[in-house]
Amino acid sequence: MMFPMFKQLIVQMFRKPFTNPFPAKYAPKSMKKFMEDVEKGKAKINPPVEIPDEETFRGRILYDRDKCIGCQLCIKVCPSKAIEFKKEEKKIRIYIGRCIFCSQCNDICPTNALSMGNEFLLASDSKVNDELVVE
Amino acid sequence: MNGEFILKLVLECILLPFFAIFFGLLLKGIDRKLVARMQARVGPPIRQPFLDVIKLFSKENIVPEHAVKWIYNAMPLVCLASSIMVLFYIPLGFPPLLAGHGDLVLVLYILIIPSLAMIAGGFASSSPFATVGAQREMVTMISYELPLSIVIMSIAFYLPGSNSFSLDFISSHPLWNSVGVLGFAGLILLLMSLIIVTPGELAKVPFDVAEAETEIAEGVMVEYSGRNLALFYMADGVKIFAFASLIVAIFFPYSISPLLNLTGLYADIANFLFFILKVVIVMIFSVSIIRAAVARYRITSVVTGYWVTVAMMALIGLLLLMWDMHYHVRWS
Amino acid sequence: MAHEYELSIGPIHPALKEPIMIRVKVEGEEIVDVDVIASQNHRGIEWLGMNRNNAIQSIYLAERVCGICNFCHPSCLVMAVEEIADIEVPERAQYIRVIQGELERIHSHLLWAGVAAHELGFDTLLHYVWMVREKVMDVLELVNGNRVTKSIIMYGGVRRDIKEEHVEHIRKMLDYYRNAFSKLAKFFLEDKTMEKRTREIGILTERDAIELAAVGPTARASGIKKDVRQDFPYFAYPDFDIHAITPDELTGYTVGDVYDRIVVRLLEVKQSIDIIEEALNEMPSGEIIAEKKLVKLMAKIKASEGEAVARYEAPRGEDIHYVKLKKGFEPLYSWKVRAPTYINILSWRPMLVGYQIADIPIIAASIDPCMSCTNRIAVVKDGKERIFTSDYFHELSVKKTRRLMK
Repeated sequence: MMFPMFKQLIVQMFRKPFTNPFPAKYAPKSMKKFMEDVEKGKAKINPPVEIPDEETFRGRILYDRDKCIGCQLCIKVCPSKAIEFKKEEKKIRIYIGRCIFCSQCNDICPTNALSMGNEFLLASDSKVNDELVVE
Repeated sequence: MNGEFILKLVLECILLPFFAIFFGLLLKGIDRKLVARMQARVGPPIRQPFLDVIKLFSKENIVPEHAVKWIYNAMPLVCLASSIMVLFYIPLGFPPLLAGHGDLVLVLYILIIPSLAMIAGGFASSSPFATVGAQREMVTMISYELPLSIVIMSIAFYLPGSNSFSLDFISSHPLWNSVGVLGFAGLILLLMSLIIVTPGELAKVPFDVAEAETEIAEGVMVEYSGRNLALFYMADGVKIFAFASLIVAIFFPYSISPLLNLTGLYADIANFLFFILKVVIVMIFSVSIIRAAVARYRITSVVTGYWVTVAMMALIGLLLLMWDMHYHVRWS
Repeated sequence: MAHEYELSIGPIHPALKEPIMIRVKVEGEEIVDVDVIASQNHRGIEWLGMNRNNAIQSIYLAERVCGICNFCHPSCLVMAVEEIADIEVPERAQYIRVIQGELERIHSHLLWAGVAAHELGFDTLLHYVWMVREKVMDVLELVNGNRVTKSIIMYGGVRRDIKEEHVEHIRKMLDYYRNAFSKLAKFFLEDKTMEKRTREIGILTERDAIELAAVGPTARASGIKKDVRQDFPYFAYPDFDIHAITPDELTGYTVGDVYDRIVVRLLEVKQSIDIIEEALNEMPSGEIIAEKKLVKLMAKIKASEGEAVARYEAPRGEDIHYVKLKKGFEPLYSWKVRAPTYINILSWRPMLVGYQIADIPIIAASIDPCMSCTNRIAVVKDGKERIFTSDYFHELSVKKTRRLMK
């Protein structure tokens, strides 16, 4: 056949689009207002694609403060210098805005105080708000 | 000519351009949505072209330093005006507004003007990309004019009478009713040639060589922005409308009012709506599906494609029509 | 005589999304001369890699040399360091590395195929191919936890094992691609417009390819049987029967045009599927990393001295990393990256001259250029413009070599 795409076109035309319309089918006029509406329950958000395996997924880092012994090994290996040491408490503070989600700090932590979470919708208007700083 | 007639004419002449722009943009929206669905995408909402135009009008209108300013600024307007002008001579479900003042040949000539305006605008913008684009547009124009004129000539040649070039006459004498077996095959060939000419005339894939985005960065449009680009954008929509109406007027001039037993104003409205539907269907087949199904040609292939393949197809169509007139092989 | 004028494609141009500049002299539509001006953008990534706190951090920097080849560059770096520090990699880790590398090849080649279709104005094919590509991206996310950056390689092994329940998903993906292959081949190789735009376009003769030292699919499409996996096998590749793919396997003859490059990449996707299948079947059990304690590993790298060159067959061609370590010096003492595109760019000239402006995007795209891998010369604007010549750079590199040799 000279133009094999024709058949595929017709098939696809009557099929549901492949795209997952996240967060809404058409871009809302104001994203901020849309998110506020979603919080109030006025608008509905189209869910993102599900996480395939929660165990291996690398989302927002989780920090168990009590387990941390302040050895600073994570600070040594962190490639993007996202972790800060709090001297007086001997604990750490992680800036998610700088984190590259490599989970290297998880591997080196001697007490398993760090682990990768499942949260990945981390867009924000400030780099240092509560959601983007883990301590 | 009485006062009421002139008033009606003036009113219609004011209304038609607005409707043409509105419907042209709507056609663009339908086209984009449909192509998106063919590509398994969600696509923009149908009103997206309107939002685009509003946005473009609010943007700064930049004129390049070395451009020939008056040509550069005038051409978008010329392009839009001439595209709208075509519609005055084409029956849109009712007789054309300027019936009797121009025929198919005039329509052919006016159809060249938008392309010429784009070429002049491209050259005037003094960008090498625009220059290449304008040259390509010229070559494309020369290429598709040959099969296009063969098709038009064949139709006029086939119809009897002295006013066979008049679109009003053509659309009131549907061709399919009067042809025999050979003529039917000939008409199919002519229709196919006209459908292949459409993407070339409207600068769509596979014949959008003059505006190839990945090759010469939108070619003739590369320097245009703001209001000027919006005018070109609207002209593109109107051009789709005009060319699809031309195909409808020549090949599918049937009206729906006799089927529904309507008369008077209702008949006009029904016919007009039916006409709009036909235009949309013609656009889907001649623009959307072709646009989605193939890759862009090189300019050399465009020329050989139009001059050899499509022109040959149209010529065979003409030949079949001539035989049909001679031998009169009927269906029975 | 026709009027000659110059067009510059790039540094910003819709066909080449990355900063590179091709200056073409055209006569009408025909190209008569080509000049490539690389390095419109300098990131200084090698310098950064040498100025980390330790070698582990450099892995993640290498991962970001190029977003698509985010497994090739770190594994190339890791191989070099392993050679210097004499780290024995467990066999299971080598198999996992092979699987990861081939998964990456599939997704890179499919991404390229989509881009090539877009350069030809065939957007439906672009969307179709990228839709098909989602499958391997899903598997990558499942196995590695993220769609793009895998963060899986480590000195002496890999960081995460392939779980038993994931193997089934990978096998399903392989079946999916086996079925999709015939469809993809039909769309790319049988479509008349595609054929018209790619056959006999951008021919790189075998002789030119050898003289310009082309690598990867670009060289193989010209009929050169050259593949690092075949010639100098690394990882677990010696266990597999790998041969360099040339287009005559499918079409029966070699032309060296864009069409052949499409053929080679499609066949390589098929080859990758077979390799992954075999690797899954024959993967031995055991450890996945030589040294689990990262602190110990860092100490070992700190204590070793020497230099090494590692070669890796990236989807785009041969990738070379040179690494030097010094005793008592924690980060890499010297690190040099030679990405495949840097070599392949040279073949643009013979490919482009004599063809039309319309062919520039597809010919440029046919080597699968990745400019982010290629930054070299910095043009510093310091009030006035300063351009470093190659002589100056030669002088600098001689000095640097002397310094390293001390």
